[in-house]
Amino acid sequence: MAGIWVFVDQRDGKYKKVVLEMLGEGKKMSEHLGEELAAVVLGKDVEALAAPLGEYGADRVIILEDEKLAGYTTDAYATALTSLIKEYQPTVVFFANAAIGLDLAPLVSQKLDTGMVADVIEIVYGDQIVFKRPIYAGKAFAHVVFNEKARPMIATIRPKMFTALDPQAGKAAHVMKAVTPDFGNLRQVVKDVVRKASGRVELTEADIVVSGGRGLKNAENFKVLEELADLLGAAVGGSRAAIDEGWLEPQFQVGQTGKVVAPSLYIAAGISGAIQHMAGMGSSKYIIAINKDPEAPIFNVADYGIVADLFDVVPIMKEEFRKLLAEG
Amino acid sequence: MPTRELFWNIHSHWLIYPLFLASLAILIYGLMQRIKLWRIGQPDQRWDNPGKRIWSTLVELLSHRKIMREKFPGLMHLFIFWGFLVLTIGTAIVALQADFGLQLLFGNFYLVFSLAMDLAGLVTILGILMAAYRRYIQKPDRLDTIPDDGISLLLILVILITGFIAEGLRIAGIGDPWAIWSPVGLVFASIFSGMTDQSIATTFTFFWWTHLVLAFGFIAYIPYSKLFHIISGTVNHLTSSPDAGKAFSLIDLEDEKTETYGVSKLEEFSWRQLLDEDACTRCGRCQDNCPAYLSGKPLSPKEFTQGLKEYLNKVGPDLVAQFKPGTGAVHQEVAATAKDVETSGPNLIGDVIEEETLWSCTTCRSCIEQCPVKVEHVPKIVDMRRNLVLVESSFPQEVQLTFRNMENNYNPWGVGWAKRVEWAEGLDVKTIDEDQNVEYLYWVGCAGSFDERNKKVARALVTILQQAGVSFAILGTEEKCCGDSARRLGNEYLYQSLAQENIETMNGFGVKKIITHCPHCFNTLLNEYPQMGGNYEVIHHTQLIDQLLKEGKIKCSGGQGVNLTYHDSCYLGRYNNVYQAPRNILKSIPGVSLKEMERNQATSFCCGAGGGRMWMEEHTGKRINILRTEQAFATKPEVIATNCPFCLTMLEDGIKSGDESEKVKVLDLAELVYAAMK
Repeated sequence: MAGIWVFVDQRDGKYKKVVLEMLGEGKKMSEHLGEELAAVVLGKDVEALAAPLGEYGADRVIILEDEKLAGYTTDAYATALTSLIKEYQPTVVFFANAAIGLDLAPLVSQKLDTGMVADVIEIVYGDQIVFKRPIYAGKAFAHVVFNEKARPMIATIRPKMFTALDPQAGKAAHVMKAVTPDFGNLRQVVKDVVRKASGRVELTEADIVVSGGRGLKNAENFKVLEELADLLGAAVGGSRAAIDEGWLEPQFQVGQTGKVVAPSLYIAAGISGAIQHMAGMGSSKYIIAINKDPEAPIFNVADYGIVADLFDVVPIMKEEFRKLLAEG
Repeated sequence: MPTRELFWNIHSHWLIYPLFLASLAILIYGLMQRIKLWRIGQPDQRWDNPGKRIWSTLVELLSHRKIMREKFPGLMHLFIFWGFLVLTIGTAIVALQADFGLQLLFGNFYLVFSLAMDLAGLVTILGILMAAYRRYIQKPDRLDTIPDDGISLLLILVILITGFIAEGLRIAGIGDPWAIWSPVGLVFASIFSGMTDQSIATTFTFFWWTHLVLAFGFIAYIPYSKLFHIISGTVNHLTSSPDAGKAFSLIDLEDEKTETYGVSKLEEFSWRQLLDEDACTRCGRCQDNCPAYLSGKPLSPKEFTQGLKEYLNKVGPDLVAQFKPGTGAVHQEVAATAKDVETSGPNLIGDVIEEETLWSCTTCRSCIEQCPVKVEHVPKIVDMRRNLVLVESSFPQEVQLTFRNMENNYNPWGVGWAKRVEWAEGLDVKTIDEDQNVEYLYWVGCAGSFDERNKKVARALVTILQQAGVSFAILGTEEKCCGDSARRLGNEYLYQSLAQENIETMNGFGVKKIITHCPHCFNTLLNEYPQMGGNYEVIHHTQLIDQLLKEGKIKCSGGQGVNLTYHDSCYLGRYNNVYQAPRNILKSIPGVSLKEMERNQATSFCCGAGGGRMWMEEHTGKRINILRTEQAFATKPEVIATNCPFCLTMLEDGIKSGDESEKVKVLDLAELVYAAMK
């Protein structure tokens, strides 16, 4: 049947921003190949997703709902998606280069006996469609093409590389409900999902991170940072000192032995910037450091440094941001 | 003429021979069974330099130098060993006379012989009583007790006592004129003085044969009890490697026939590694000095060794039955059959030895240092880590980042490799690229190059070198991580690729002498790089500074009084025996008052960063660095002096967590010298 498919990476009815970016690029692909752009949603009670997907460029939304697809499991999703692809024969399928996509795409490619290219950052449309991806930690790039037999072309797309289209309000996609396939014997069943309640953005996905270290002195003081984070819609993190002292839970540790983050903005308050911490946030786009000690190593990597007491600076920062955001 | 009748009142003494042969046969049979088990293991060349090996084993046996590190158990074993040795030689002399007719036990020699034997017996009894007291009354934590322990002690005690009883009876029976030369026998004789001649003779015969049967029983019991350490411990010592744990085996990664890396099955260990299990006497000194064990981690070097022994006893016999040992058991053909044997039983990694146990080791080498029979624990741990990393791809999550960073940017923190020379800004340091005609290559290492705190040490060192007029250059951005952490974590592949590149770079520049900043780089460059063609004269910066001070090229004049303690790092101290040079440096700095920690030099306590643990979190028990910091605080220091960038980081961290953070400073020796030079 042909078509450019975008697999909608969703959890609890919420999908990642990268899905919209994939639709944006998918549009280009669809124009180049003259084929329809479809968004594929697997899950349970996911009809509500169809509307926004249409507004962001999908011509068609294929929905497959089933009890067994309520929570993501490799087996059920791979079986379902493979049967859909076998039936409708799309030319290209995009997945997000994230947890679900990286789990699902290789398995689906293998079941379909086709090729796959991961972590794509650019696509060039010419006589051949060329997928560009970084190799050796970005020291070089590989240009990958699929041979004629390898269909569909399966690619996982790196977030923040492509652009989503401007939403066209009211543009509806043709919603198609697919038939539940025969799942056979599934080897995985989700019994329960235990989640730590945190209203905030997840640390590794956040665009802005507000982070605190030994300079905070105690757990109470973290409220100051949390207020700033909430205002900015940011995640809260901490250096190992903060976790060791028990001011933050271990899942919030940023560093060599914690999480590695690469947000657009990293605000480090009361963090000296030992190399173990830098290993976890060094690739942040912009780093603002606030520290009493002018000799603190963090100032060597910060784009903007404020040598002052963070308890003076952070409240002022919060006020200024509040004013800016109110202006719009 | 002083002498004695050898077989007074002993008839049919020809019985000795078949009895002896029987016990010898049982001994040899038992020994063969154990040898078969060891030979399941891979070949390993451990017999080179036989003269040196025999000499060093002889010296250790006779002097008990290592065992005597602890006075009470040391003396206890010294008594038992020397007593036994004299008694055995004495008995052999009797046999020479009885069986070969050599007329030896006459005159003054006989008198000295009698005295020596009596004293030896007494001393041995004393040793046995000390041992029983230690095991059953003192009950130190590191000793676990099983029936065999009691049986062995009791057996020896009874043999000795029946021996003295027999001697006493003989002295009482014949009215020995030289009895004073058998003082203990004389005391026993007084017990029997009231008996009739007839009953003395009969009782003597009984005890003589009892003593003999028990003694021969002892010989037969050897391979089936802890007494086996007499043989296995000695052979283990003879075949030991002084470099064990310092330099790990080089895996041939080019060999396409290899199906697995590291060790995940018993037969993949070498025969010497399997012999280790039989040599271990469960003395527990390794455990008593292991930072992992002492901080609550699930690693005890003793339990580790004993766990392997149990496993050897369990699956070994089947493996022996399956194929011919001694040829290097893992052949392609037999490996398949061996797999069948082991898949049905417990797995080596996971069931016998838990993964967390393997990752808990800091490779401090205290276990190897302490072990009187030279068990080599650390290489086995790394061998199993190798299997986990290279074959199973199963390792702690934090380590993944470390490996990736080393692969991409040649340093564990992942800082861009192009920034490797930034620490030297403004110091006018040459790269070897600019000038090959220098005496030394200063190997800065990753910490000195990238870690803010350690950059200060590198800068201090460079200033010292320049003021002393030392001719040196650095590799600059061509320097890559030496690979120490990668190798110890089990990633042999990553280690070899780093080492190969470094060696090629250095050989390309004709490097001959290297000064290292960091003891880990020091150990790897000195002891491991030669495996891959990197042969250099390597010294640590403390050794060089010591030299420069001695030659008067630098002088330490300034310095106020400071209470200082010194932390011996594992890789400089215990590994490579560099204890004096740093202490000489401290002596040369005016005002420094050095108070040693309780655990110093060979018994120094690890900071917790070795074995790749710098890059991992501790999830169980107490932080090792905090333990060591507490030990340092016991000396009430103002300054803790270190020689290693890892120790510096760990101890500073340890201080920060306490309340002393404002007062105590941690400084490298280079920094101390630099400050005193101004």
